[in-house]
Amino acid sequence: MNQEFKTTPASKNGVRLLRNDLIFIAALFVIVSVFGLCFYLFRGEGDKVVVTVDGEVFGTYSLSEDVTVEIRTGAQGSELNLLVIKDGKAYVEAATCPDGICAGHKPISRKGESIVCLPHRVVITVHGTDTDEEPDIIV
Amino acid sequence: MKRSVLVFLLIGTMLLQGVGLSACGKKITKYSTYSFDYFDTVTSIVGYAKGQEEFDLVAGEILAELNNYHRLFTIYHRYEGLENLCTVNELTDGVHRTVKVDRRIIDMLLYAKEMYDLTGGKVNIAMGSVLSVWHEYREAGLEEPWEAKLPPMEKLAEASKHTDINKMVIDEEACTVTLTDPLMTLDVGAVAKGYAVEMIARSLEEQGITGYVINVGGNVRTVGFKGDGEKWTVGIENPEDSENAYLAYLKLSGEALVTSGSYQRYYIVDGKRYHHIIDPETLMPSEGYLSVSVVCKSSADGDALSTALFCMSLTDGMALVEKLPDIEAMWVTADGTRYTSGGFGEYVNE
Repeated sequence: MNQEFKTTPASKNGVRLLRNDLIFIAALFVIVSVFGLCFYLFRGEGDKVVVTVDGEVFGTYSLSEDVTVEIRTGAQGSELNLLVIKDGKAYVEAATCPDGICAGHKPISRKGESIVCLPHRVVITVHGTDTDEEPDIIV
Repeated sequence: MKRSVLVFLLIGTMLLQGVGLSACGKKITKYSTYSFDYFDTVTSIVGYAKGQEEFDLVAGEILAELNNYHRLFTIYHRYEGLENLCTVNELTDGVHRTVKVDRRIIDMLLYAKEMYDLTGGKVNIAMGSVLSVWHEYREAGLEEPWEAKLPPMEKLAEASKHTDINKMVIDEEACTVTLTDPLMTLDVGAVAKGYAVEMIARSLEEQGITGYVINVGGNVRTVGFKGDGEKWTVGIENPEDSENAYLAYLKLSGEALVTSGSYQRYYIVDGKRYHHIIDPETLMPSEGYLSVSVVCKSSADGDALSTALFCMSLTDGMALVEKLPDIEAMWVTADGTRYTSGGFGEYVNE
């Protein structure tokens, strides 16, 4: 009897433990999944300006932080596109390229917008996290 | 003790699973690449693929084909052992030779001739003599902006005497082309990009490839739908810095959109912009529009027609578009007013 008395609560306890464990594990699974999903969805949060020269990434800059970037290209960096990020907008303030079309381009701030300097092979593009309303291609 | 080990193992598994999910290589992802090497403009390719490798394979094929077309259609470069439009334009002892060229050149020239007839001469690839004068003055003006000048009208008028497209003689059987006026040259700038992009897009479609967009300097051709089966959203840039970043949003799948804009290539003389789309009648940059966009099945048609419409009055242009099946257009006049053809709205994503 004594033995039975002793074993019964133990096994009952064992069952409860197992069930709690399952709840605990399920809860953890949910938390980890939600965390992972958030991380996946919001990775690289905040709008960025990505500069590439001839297809290679030259630099990545936050659109929310004012900065001036000298994009040096050509032999010994003799060619210049002066990128300015100010008040959430990016524009080319000055450039040594012959056509100056990049410097004449309006400031960009929306995801997908870009300024291209053909002679210097520079592409300045806004990347962001907002998904709606933004086109896949801009012409 | 056992329990904590079990929980530890489970959490470990879940974390690994989480990492595996987010870095899953088999998920269809959007990739893109740029190139500056073809048709004197920027090429961008966007595509949905199962991985970088798959994208690179398709993008690599597109770029290789663009390179082939570029070498054939360029009027500025000669390549060892290759007859291209540059060699067709060359003079030997004061005359143009009869040049045996690649079939792709013949097909493109015949297409360009068709477009000449269709647009009443507004697309004329035999205008090389006039366009080269503009090219020369524009390049010089860009090199030394303080010295920028407009080409004198006498010079343009003299050049325009040698722009008769019927003096481009094509022998389809022999695959040859001869320019019978020694002072004429070809300039396929209004046709070549769109034509090349169309040919490449069709070849992708024949291979069953889908989920790609090729954009060569504003000649956009969508191939199939996006990775999620939705249509592509294409924004037509508003060149003015205004609240509306885009003049229009379009939904496309398998169609082409070509925009010709006066803001894309220009030089400045005495504070005034002179762009690169030259009206064959006035021999001057066509004024009146900020941009003209054409939506249609073929980017070749889009390229030729957007150039033609740029040099036509709104009334004439609208009449031409309404006459042609499956061609829609949007004109933006210099003051920013938009006009659209009857069916353009069907593509617009409100």
